[in-house]
Amino acid sequence: MTPRPTRVQLFATCLVDRFFPGVGHATVAVLERHGLQVDVPPDQTCCGQPAFNAGFVEDAAAMARHTIDVLSQSAAPVVVPSGSCADMIVTHYPALLADDPVYGERARALAARTFELSQFLVDVLDVIPASAPAGPSLAYHASCHGLRGLGLREQPRRLLRAVTGGRCTDLPDAETCCGFGGLFAVKMGPVSGAMLQSKIEAIEASGTEVVVATDVSCLMHIGGGLHRRGSGVCTRHIAEILAGAPHE
Amino acid sequence: MNDASLAFHRRIDEALADGALRRALALTTGRLAGGRATAMAALPDAEALRTEARRIRAHTIAHLDRYLDQFTRAAQARGCQVHWAETASDATRIVTGIARENAIALAVKSKSMVTEEIELNAALEQAGVRVVETDLGEFVVQLAADRPSHIIAPIVHLSRGDVARLFQDKLGAREDEVADIPAMTAFARRILRSQFIDAGMGISGVNLAVADTGSLCIVTNEGNGRLTTSLPRLHVAILGLERIVPTAADLAVVLTLLARSATGQAVPVYTNVVTGPRRRGAGPGASPGGEPDGPDELHIVIVDNGRSRLLGGELAEILYCVRCGACLNVCPVYRHIGGHAYGSVYPGPVGSVVTPGLMGLDDWSELAQASSLCGACRDVCPVRIDLPHLLLKLREQAARRELAPLWLRLAMPFFAAIATRPALYQFLGSVAARIARTASDEGWIRRLPGPFAAWSASRDFPAPAPRSFVQQHRANKAGTGAPPS
Amino acid sequence: MNAARDRILASVRDGLLRAVLPDATDDRAGRWAPPDPALPRDTLIEHFGRALASLAGHLHRAASASAAADIIAGVAASQGATSYLSWDDEHLGCPGLLSVLESRGLPRVTYDVPGDPVERARGTHELGGVGLGLTGAHAALADCGAIVLVSGPGRGRLASLLPPVHVAIVSERRMWPSLTALVRAEADLLDAGSNVVLVAGPSRTADIEMTLTHGVHGPKHVHVILMP
Repeated sequence: MTPRPTRVQLFATCLVDRFFPGVGHATVAVLERHGLQVDVPPDQTCCGQPAFNAGFVEDAAAMARHTIDVLSQSAAPVVVPSGSCADMIVTHYPALLADDPVYGERARALAARTFELSQFLVDVLDVIPASAPAGPSLAYHASCHGLRGLGLREQPRRLLRAVTGGRCTDLPDAETCCGFGGLFAVKMGPVSGAMLQSKIEAIEASGTEVVVATDVSCLMHIGGGLHRRGSGVCTRHIAEILAGAPHE
Repeated sequence: MNDASLAFHRRIDEALADGALRRALALTTGRLAGGRATAMAALPDAEALRTEARRIRAHTIAHLDRYLDQFTRAAQARGCQVHWAETASDATRIVTGIARENAIALAVKSKSMVTEEIELNAALEQAGVRVVETDLGEFVVQLAADRPSHIIAPIVHLSRGDVARLFQDKLGAREDEVADIPAMTAFARRILRSQFIDAGMGISGVNLAVADTGSLCIVTNEGNGRLTTSLPRLHVAILGLERIVPTAADLAVVLTLLARSATGQAVPVYTNVVTGPRRRGAGPGASPGGEPDGPDELHIVIVDNGRSRLLGGELAEILYCVRCGACLNVCPVYRHIGGHAYGSVYPGPVGSVVTPGLMGLDDWSELAQASSLCGACRDVCPVRIDLPHLLLKLREQAARRELAPLWLRLAMPFFAAIATRPALYQFLGSVAARIARTASDEGWIRRLPGPFAAWSASRDFPAPAPRSFVQQHRANKAGTGAPPS
Repeated sequence: MNAARDRILASVRDGLLRAVLPDATDDRAGRWAPPDPALPRDTLIEHFGRALASLAGHLHRAASASAAADIIAGVAASQGATSYLSWDDEHLGCPGLLSVLESRGLPRVTYDVPGDPVERARGTHELGGVGLGLTGAHAALADCGAIVLVSGPGRGRLASLLPPVHVAIVSERRMWPSLTALVRAEADLLDAGSNVVLVAGPSRTADIEMTLTHGVHGPKHVHVILMP
């Protein structure tokens, strides 16, 4: 990846596509701001992570092959506004399709040029965003798959610190799982709820007005809990913060 | 979902409703996990050590037959009697046999998970042998006819008042003898000291065996491991067949990580290595020229009980485990539900793999679902076991065996069929969004239907957007859509 | 028994044909070695002292049998110990110490655990009144504050195990940086006796309400006397 890319593909992810399209637009805006042409392959659907996590490997493999096809029409790097979906493609696709005579190699090739958004901005583009004017207090929740699967420890924090002029801090227990875990949230509803409760207590203890993360899956879970409580704290995806999305 | 799985969910509900347990778990696991982080940071080369410990364990398991053979010959050459047990009942039969041959009436035991796995205490009691647990926490658990709730902190669920009452009711302790924790500890010491001396047999587990010298390493903080293996005339050690390393140098590497990972101590108080029974001298009398104390006989019972079968598959990596408990202390699920809920001798992340691995998938596959796959366990395992990967393998096996709930078995292939047909995906997505939005209020859905209802117990669900991002972006590019928000 | 052994080993070999064992190699020895900053002995001793203190153990220095005896008699007096168990003189690393202790009026209780179980129990119960145990040590480990005891003729286990107070005499020359360093240098360590034990301070537990308490089963007080 030595020459700076001029063109990228956006893999929006199924949750962004269906529930948080604003995050998709914000991601495009951020990438375009850095001089990139952004393609959004219209045939993209779901990376297959829910099936994979549930042990339904054939179904996951089918979705993986489809995703590989969609993202291999072009050789441009793929940017994903989700740590867990990027992790699925980068870490799990090659192993999932290791025995596939055609898709094994294509999976490896795709994995080599797929990045989570903050990873792309910091590790590939090496950008440090300008500090935005003062805004609400912001606290960061480190989504698990990006953190431990992709090693996304510094990149989101660096971007958030820069764009908020140091205002963004970690939540207490920032790296503790929020309890979403995909289908875990319904299959193990009570435990998931208990983990969410701990995360909300940390949020309230921090006094923050906004919770930010790299994954809408976590944010939808945390946000759902905050809303149920009637909390005034809202959730934002890192792309929205970087794009300067206004706080309601 | 079968009865065993339903029972698991019931136990989870009970645990979540137990406020005292949850507070104790939060405190205990927090302290132990914090201790681990500090102790590992104090090592100059923690990551290199973890890699080396993994290398040692992987190599050993990959040549397990050779090392078991070497261990047996070395142990026998140093005066040990080595027995082999294919099943739990074989193991208990061997131990009760030894007890009978030696007319044992009382046995003392230092804490051992494998002895709980094979249910040794019950078998011995049935054979007329009184068994006394000597680890303070296990002693209390035994008095209360309870079960331990954590590998390292077995009575995290009991208060000092609970313990005081137990000592008074069951052992006739006076008020002053249970006035505070030091007093209770001194009381327990006195009671148990008598038992150690009177017992004809000491039973221990083995943290790690050393193949080239036939040695057994047993670690404790209390000293009951030393007393159990030194005072009674007979020492019986129960050894899970995977708990072995090739040499003393290998043992030292793993020991460097074991206590740090478990509790944050640099080293346990007692790292007790026994190599054969008491060494005899050549002359007459009790021990002229020989050692003045120690057991006269050392029996080692090597237990399979499903381990060799587990070895022969995709889950074999779990056999690298050295039972430190670090994964429990960082697992957000374990921190909320504790050990009892798992219903197994082995709880937490490691237990979620070992239990179905040893005991079978039918009754235990649900344990592998009790994880958000956050990966915190993998980060702390001293031998770098990829627990999330093993959990996924278990889920794959469960799905193949059709152990997943019916709705999922129908929904997954259906979703895959749609997600590989983009036009249908977008179309059905729009339809579903329109329907869902009718049930929403100001962008939120309060009650999800069917299997998703569990979500709604504690959270609202966002209403889907009227148009998907892909649709909006395509429309924008064509110049006909609403501007991006 | 042999049949069970054969079946189990056959089952293991069979399992190994299908086992998925990531990072397993045939290499007997890896490339890792304990870090060796080659610290001077005084620094090691200082580390040891700090580690031992953090474990609630006590470190003393003595240069003669008389000085060591003073320390031991002092500890015995403060803990109300009126007799002691001990390793034989030649294993303490302090020649003549036992006769100096005798002249200080502290009697040594000797024992030899008999084979008969009833006698064994009775004899061990009788040791219940002994307040102090005295041993030498094979080595001390600076990084963790532990001492290494090796059993053998004249070096019983009970001296460091039964009485509530344990005093260990350690030579400064036997101060090692770590267990891994010691074992690398002494590959036969585990075979030196039926019992090799690392003792890191007094016995402890936090089982009840995570509250630290000492002297559960093993000694409640541990004193290490470092001698040249």
